Amino acid sequence: MRHVAIIGTGQTDYASNRSDASQPELVREAAKAAIADAGLRPQQIDAVLISNMELFEGRALPELWLGEAAFAAGKPCLKVATGGTSGTSACISGFHQVASGLFDVVLVVGLEKHSEGQTQTGMALTDPFWDRAVAAGALGNFALSISQYMAERGVTERQAAMVAVKARRNAARNPHAHLKMPALTVDEVLASRPLAHPIRLLDMCPQSDGACAIVIAAEKPARRLCPRPAWVKASATRHEQPYIGDIDRRLVTMRTLRDAARGVYERAGIRDPLHDFDVAEIYEPVSYAELAWYEALGFCREGEAGRLIEDGVTAMDGELPVNPSGGVLSSNPVGASGVIRVAEAALQIHGRGGERQVEGVRTALVTGYGVYAWADVVVLGAQP
Amino acid sequence: MNEAILVPIEMAATWRYASGAAMERFCDGLRERRIEALRCGVCRRSYLPPRPICGNCHAPLSEWVSVADEGRLEAWTVLQVPMLDARTGSIREAPYGMGLIRLDGADTTINHYLAESDPARLAIGLRVRAVWRPEPRGAMDDIVHFEVLR
Amino acid sequence: MILEGAIRIPFKYAAGRAGSRFLVALRDGMRIVASRCETCARVAVPLRTLCPACGGDDLAEVEVGPGGSVIAWTQTPDAGSYALVRLDGADTAFLHRLVAAPAGCRIGQRVRVRFASSRRASILDIDGFEPVTGEGR
Repeated sequence: MRHVAIIGTGQTDYASNRSDASQPELVREAAKAAIADAGLRPQQIDAVLISNMELFEGRALPELWLGEAAFAAGKPCLKVATGGTSGTSACISGFHQVASGLFDVVLVVGLEKHSEGQTQTGMALTDPFWDRAVAAGALGNFALSISQYMAERGVTERQAAMVAVKARRNAARNPHAHLKMPALTVDEVLASRPLAHPIRLLDMCPQSDGACAIVIAAEKPARRLCPRPAWVKASATRHEQPYIGDIDRRLVTMRTLRDAARGVYERAGIRDPLHDFDVAEIYEPVSYAELAWYEALGFCREGEAGRLIEDGVTAMDGELPVNPSGGVLSSNPVGASGVIRVAEAALQIHGRGGERQVEGVRTALVTGYGVYAWADVVVLGAQP
Repeated sequence: MNEAILVPIEMAATWRYASGAAMERFCDGLRERRIEALRCGVCRRSYLPPRPICGNCHAPLSEWVSVADEGRLEAWTVLQVPMLDARTGSIREAPYGMGLIRLDGADTTINHYLAESDPARLAIGLRVRAVWRPEPRGAMDDIVHFEVLR
Repeated sequence: MILEGAIRIPFKYAAGRAGSRFLVALRDGMRIVASRCETCARVAVPLRTLCPACGGDDLAEVEVGPGGSVIAWTQTPDAGSYALVRLDGADTAFLHRLVAAPAGCRIGQRVRVRFASSRRASILDIDGFEPVTGEGR
């Protein structure tokens, strides 16, 4: 299979309410920026992928209303709607399309406008016989898993709050981010409104409006157009069984993420994740999840995630900066969030991360997360 | 500067879902305060809720096993913000407890409400038992919630 | 076993830059505004931020209608009649109800936009297209 690279990115600003722009206008803004960033004209895009959770905005066929704005009229266009993994899975589908040899340049655009709809309702409209009667929503889902994680691994509320602080302080250096809090403290997180024990308001991701796009190209156009393409070394997706109760001790085990990472690390030649990666953009919907995933991704031994955050290993000046962009904890338009992870990691390799640039990035890790336990893993590199 | 217009639309959605044979039998059991799981002939895992195949083995499921209406609390939380009830569209007021319960005889846990809503009185490992609705009708909410056995 | 359910979900969509200007023009001026593309000269209604013909985004705002010609129409038993109309000055067609036409109409029929007396920046600030008598094909 041939090499593929990300050669352009485009993002709108993220906010709790972008009532100034319609859905197609936001998509257009991100798509246009990504295509221009890639040094291309819209006519040179061969296919388009749209990532969006249509139920959140209550309008069917997002690729109909948004397709034209994403330059897809007259072209192949597919939609991906897989919860939080929509964005990363759409990007991975784009990688496959270009790697197959059937397309040379593919555009991926993710969008969500939580302000227009009812995200809680969309999340709750799952299995009508079981989940609708007794599901606790994303919030309850995380909280249940966190109770197991804390009991088994001994992480504390304070350690989780440190993750939340890192994220919003990093976000202050990202012009697009929704929650920019350069002076946020652990005590402020611990004093914020309780949501679902033990999760507090500042432990949780926001709901944001916004769009993000990337351009994926085959090797020939990539080398012609981009001085430092972000090459896709390997990628993987894993889904799971239907009910939260099927998944044993979810945050503790997270078999989908571990499984996807194992395969990707092998194909990408990663042996020591903490040192082999220069930066990571991981999809962390709640502070505790980032800790659990340090362990699942092999940044440390099981049970050592608390020590990692306390020692500053994943801070901007640490051994492996995690989420220089501020992560999902700072900006979360769900359909776009996964594309943002890929775009931000690509920007790091492109060397155009601005104030959030980590020095000397050659290898970047990206993860996506969705629903109960779906996981995507991608490794990008400065060489194919 | 443009006046930003917002277009309000209320969606009225109605549906009629077919349960399938496995869920139908399960719901019939609930009407008699009986809980049954489906066991995989290959990996021997007992699944609640029931479903047509085992996700790990891809084998069809047909062996029904009895499951108690009490078990061990494997995970818990207390919701401190109101949440939307997806069946009615109305709000469920907080606080209320939720848990993952491994009923005696089942290998998966089920998520359900807990009668207890004080975090100081909840812990992994507690024994819990179903509190049934006085007149079960063959639906998941025939179990009102689980109470901690103290 | 069949499980029945019903839910009502409220949504509120941002009309955006172009959509808002279009709806405000309906409400306040009983005007129909469209985009003329400075690259390919095509006129698209309603007002857009990108040209559907060439993809360009250098667009000028122009007024179209209120007269136009029917290019397609249909009558339904329960939901009334609809017509696709090419408003005077526009290159794209506009779909709305056909009103005051109990016997329907014909392709090429001249029509005119009828505005609602009470308007609130909604597409229904237009009641529909009304046949104009005396103007032939």
